[in-house]
Amino acid sequence: MASSRSVYAPTDGYTYPLSLTLYPRPRAASPTPPTHVTPNQTPWPPHPSPPHPPNPSKSKSTSTSTSTFFTSPTHIYTTALLLRLTLLLYGIYQDTTSALKYTDIDYLVFTDASHYTRQGLSPYARDTYRYTPLLAWLLLPTSLTIPSSPLLTTLLFSSGKILFLLSDLLAGWLITKSLVQAYGMDAPRARKYAAGWLLNPMVANISTRGSSEGVLCVLVVGMVWAALGRRVWLAGAVLGVSVHLKIYPFVYGVAIVWWLGGSGSRTPILSFITKDRIILTLSSLFTFAALNALMYALYSTPFLQHTFLHHLTRIDHRHNFSPYSTLLYLSAAGDSSASSSSSSSFAFESLAFIPQLLLSVVVLPLALAKKSLPGAMLAQTFAFVAFNKVVTSQYFLWYLIFLPFYLPLPTCSLRQKPKTTGAAVAVLWVLGQALWLHQAYNLEFLGLSTFVPGLFLSSLGFFAVNVWILGVVVGDLVALPSSSSSW
Amino acid sequence: MKTRITYLQPPSSSFVSSQAHLTPHALHIDGLDAAKEERITVDVGEVSALVCTTLKQFHELHLRWATEERYEAVEPWGSRVSPGLHGGVRLVEVDEEVESHAVSPLCDILREAFDRGVYCEGILKSLTAPPTPLSESSASSPSSPSTTTHNYYAPLPTHHVVEFITQHICPLEVAGADCRRRAEAVQSADSIDIDYDAESQALVVSAYWGRSPTENGWTEEIAAPGGKHDRVEVGLLGTEKAVEAGEIKMGGLLGVVGVDGELKPTLFSFPSRHHVLDPQADFSVSFAPPTGMHPTMTISLSAAALETPPAPAYAECALHAYLSLPSYIFADKFQLMTADNLFLDSHHLSGLRAVSGATDLEAPDWVVSQWGSNWLLELATPEPTQFPEEWNVTIPLHLRYMRPSETGYRGVDVPWPVVFWACSADDPGVNPFDRTNLGWDAPFSPRTTFYQVNPSASGDRLVEGLDVPVLQLKERGLFGSKTVEWGTVMAISLGFLWVLWRLVAGAGTRRAEGEREKKAQ
Repeated sequence: MASSRSVYAPTDGYTYPLSLTLYPRPRAASPTPPTHVTPNQTPWPPHPSPPHPPNPSKSKSTSTSTSTFFTSPTHIYTTALLLRLTLLLYGIYQDTTSALKYTDIDYLVFTDASHYTRQGLSPYARDTYRYTPLLAWLLLPTSLTIPSSPLLTTLLFSSGKILFLLSDLLAGWLITKSLVQAYGMDAPRARKYAAGWLLNPMVANISTRGSSEGVLCVLVVGMVWAALGRRVWLAGAVLGVSVHLKIYPFVYGVAIVWWLGGSGSRTPILSFITKDRIILTLSSLFTFAALNALMYALYSTPFLQHTFLHHLTRIDHRHNFSPYSTLLYLSAAGDSSASSSSSSSFAFESLAFIPQLLLSVVVLPLALAKKSLPGAMLAQTFAFVAFNKVVTSQYFLWYLIFLPFYLPLPTCSLRQKPKTTGAAVAVLWVLGQALWLHQAYNLEFLGLSTFVPGLFLSSLGFFAVNVWILGVVVGDLVALPSSSSSW
Repeated sequence: MKTRITYLQPPSSSFVSSQAHLTPHALHIDGLDAAKEERITVDVGEVSALVCTTLKQFHELHLRWATEERYEAVEPWGSRVSPGLHGGVRLVEVDEEVESHAVSPLCDILREAFDRGVYCEGILKSLTAPPTPLSESSASSPSSPSTTTHNYYAPLPTHHVVEFITQHICPLEVAGADCRRRAEAVQSADSIDIDYDAESQALVVSAYWGRSPTENGWTEEIAAPGGKHDRVEVGLLGTEKAVEAGEIKMGGLLGVVGVDGELKPTLFSFPSRHHVLDPQADFSVSFAPPTGMHPTMTISLSAAALETPPAPAYAECALHAYLSLPSYIFADKFQLMTADNLFLDSHHLSGLRAVSGATDLEAPDWVVSQWGSNWLLELATPEPTQFPEEWNVTIPLHLRYMRPSETGYRGVDVPWPVVFWACSADDPGVNPFDRTNLGWDAPFSPRTTFYQVNPSASGDRLVEGLDVPVLQLKERGLFGSKTVEWGTVMAISLGFLWVLWRLVAGAGTRRAEGEREKKAQ
């Protein structure tokens, strides 16, 4: 019996505990309850087919040393913290000794805005501050100076980064907690997956340079954790805050609402309206509306203009990873020229939201949320970013946070086929960026006109890589067992 | 109409009395090696009705034009502006209604006097507030004091001021014949000022030549004026060493053509706001290649330029550069406003002292309606004991995106800045050659003396050309606008369909697998 069990086996004999917790109405009388998965017996990855146990491809160390590392929470969190503190201190060192700064320009925008806020002015007094005032408030300590102590002043200035790096750790902890609670993983294995986030140098680098994405990521993971744990009102509130912070998390609302559904009533409309769905909708709308009302009361039009309306009116003519960037440059420059070319071209770029929102708001959440909520959210984010009119590298963090939820899925081909699909995904994703970056370098620093064909083709190439990866992810998620007729 | 013509001979050249011959009807100048200023002052009632109506809308109008070729600026005309056309205006009242309909008096006068194609979309849209000093308090409060003065700049190598003078200022009848003839000469002037203010109701046009346009010096006939109220004054002068620092001493001959029987000797001295440093004190400007999208302007100063100018001992002096940057190039004010000494020291800057205009960090050139931006930077100087041969100040700049072109590049001009020492001084006294409203003097108190650093003789053109990379659009070729449009649409569509197919195909496989499982059971 045990040997015939396959990771792809979708039937009752399927041992993967995911289906039991992720799906709203798990069959209570599962013949093989997840309790048989004990920490000591189960190696990583969780479901080896006994004749050919896939190796833990990433870890080169022996299984005993890896397991001791992950057995206790102390090791991983200490390492994650030390990694970040080292980078933070190095950043302070570089900033005070070199004209070339470690700190991200965005961090200077945030801290300038905090400076204005502390003086009772609007944070929008700082050009290019396009965030909620909450962020400027969170960073208020950065605007304090203690003239007698330069050390304390430096520390205060870095307090925002400390907040961001603590957000990273909290996000990692929430990932572990979600994997244990919802996926039924044992803690060491959950930590192993969370390490992809906690010990990821790219993540640590971004937060210690002072980018606020870590705060957003902790909210998103918090949302996943709250939803998987059926803390519906909390999930809604966090969703409301996240959308207030950065608009894109609204796509997760659809996935969670769909996932929350339960079977029961035979009338489709009545069965759609459930208590959980109402709670989620109301709590998220209330939080979102309350925050916006507060900010509007305090900062009126500039708040609306910079946090929301700006995204509707921005031109986005500058080169970026988006497949639309060349088209947008072309159309933005054409529209305003009085003597534009006689051939009136159709404004394709104005329809860019259609494929993007169809995938990330409609198709992907509806098709995938009931198979795996975090998996669907990964696919949504990936689609949202890949089809967006602007793509910069910090957006990649938005989907990176979901990898620890996707990798342990039994159908995850990145883990199942690390040497083929896994390697191809990693190599192509990096290569796609490298090719684009080379063209961008030639433009920005060498002054070569590489818009066409260089940047145009490389951004389309990177887009192709992204949709291929999205296809792999979608294929994996579709292959997950269906959660029966829950709707 | 009053005309004042001043010739200023360099100390090196000699003067013989036969070079200036005054008759009752004219003054004959023969082969005079000199710099020259010619200034006409007309009552606003005397100019053409069109220009008169336009001028009436201004409280003040100050236009400055300088050639992009290198020229000598000698005391008392030592002040310079960056090559191109500068404007500073104050309207009687800014009528937003009128302004928004592009019937701007300023645009009228700029097109009329300088260039029909000059960029101007009205005072409110195209002009900028003058740079106000950035202090700790004003830096933290972004609401700038309301101001009624507006600034303008455009790179402009040529102009048609001659037509403006002949058509609108010179009298129409025969009486204007000499005026028109004299106006022709303005074409070769190195710098031109046009000033009007409502209080005096006078329009003043001044032209300056650093030296005569011909090899043999000035040879001309200055006729006595035709009209009763007209007056033509001529001075043939040279400068001498002034007794007091900050003063200029001039001596030579003066005469009123048609009135005086002979030229009268004179010697006078006066305090001056503007001074010129020794020729060795010079600077040159360059952009180190590759310039990319973030060109760095390098100002190379000679050792002599770094020496504190010969101001009174109590004066506090600082070296400055004033940049007029057209909208396609700009600096990041947040980068330059920094208090970080590591950054400032690495660029040999002391800090950004004033800024105004189009400082948006993200806008492409075609959405910027303002002409551009002004930057007053204080430059760092090395310790006096260790002057290097050359001291390089670098200013990080950024290019805006420009419209696509056939070649993939757009050539733009960046004017050299004005580089000068500013020293605190007493109240300036009366100076017959005083020059104000230059743009760069606005952030300073009136009690300031300026010492110009000379543009280096190595630069023929005081303008640097840059190639801005833009989207290349060929009429014919593989990558036209259609390719970009359809390529993008195809890629997006295929990507979209691929994801959908993976969903459908995956679901199909799963269904098949499920059925197999059922059968197996």
